[in-house]
Amino acid sequence: MPPEIVQWLQNMSLATAIRESAIVFPVILSLHLTGMGLFGGMILMTDLRLLGIAMTKRPVSDVVKGLRPWKHLGLTLTAGCGILLLWSKAAIYYPNPYLRIKLTLFALIIIHSLVFRSVYRNVTDLDRSPVIPGRAKMAAALSLVLWLSVLTAGRWIGYWEPKGGPAAASQVVLQLDADVTH
Amino acid sequence: MALFLAYDPSSNPLNTNEWAFPVCEVLHILGFAVAIGTITMVDLRLLGIGMKKESAADLVRDTSTWTLAGLALVLITGPLIFSSDPNMYLRNASFRFKLTALALAIIFNYTIHRWVALKKGPGGVAVLTGLISLALWVSVIFGGIFIAFV
Repeated sequence: MPPEIVQWLQNMSLATAIRESAIVFPVILSLHLTGMGLFGGMILMTDLRLLGIAMTKRPVSDVVKGLRPWKHLGLTLTAGCGILLLWSKAAIYYPNPYLRIKLTLFALIIIHSLVFRSVYRNVTDLDRSPVIPGRAKMAAALSLVLWLSVLTAGRWIGYWEPKGGPAAASQVVLQLDADVTH
Repeated sequence: MALFLAYDPSSNPLNTNEWAFPVCEVLHILGFAVAIGTITMVDLRLLGIGMKKESAADLVRDTSTWTLAGLALVLITGPLIFSSDPNMYLRNASFRFKLTALALAIIFNYTIHRWVALKKGPGGVAVLTGLISLALWVSVIFGGIFIAFV
């Protein structure tokens, strides 16, 4: 994405309002983490059930289908708040390599969901199966690895600084500002 | 208190190693997702809006090991993070709020929340218990995030 567009996004009034508010930014961040509590817990129990580690006394379909709407609610809350946070500091986060790693991981998660669509769609088949098939276990294990990687990359975004420290970062932003103005 | 005031955290590995602090934070978030996620499963059942094929009692029994594992991870990484700058945390209003909410949430979880879920009480009590539990845990998360903003 061209830096001008990233700067233009960050300069939009709603993004600026979020970034500069002493209360709105941390509230959105808190909701981002609340979403993680919901989504993270639900995806973990879903995958641990598929792996045959947790909730083993319950049918696979009861656990996976029961958790599904709450998993989706948690994901929507986390992603919605995440997009707002990213938007509000688009130009600041733009050069951050951990953001790029995180976005790449999301692409892998989309591929994962397409490849293993049949596993999650046909969970009732798993109830009749005496053992959980390797393919379902593979889907669950990869899901856990991918989401844990997203969490790690996300946390690392906050620790990266461009070469030369924060001063250099603000220089980049100022330069972008100048580019947009002229 | 005096012990913390005399403590110099500058040699703490969390402050000298580039990776140690964020690793603790990642594990802290993972731990609370496991603990709060599993408790939320019971809350949703108490509210009568989720996991309806299971009873609240069964859900508590199925998830309690995971809840405890999540809490253990949080209660190990939390004090480590605290040790990186005890004086800042002790003076931080949001940190004090968070610890109060956390203590209440844990006590509530292992007393009233557990009793109500295990003994199928009247619907109104179950709903109230689920709501209080959710409110307490969300307060802990907000308190934690606001430490960096007050």
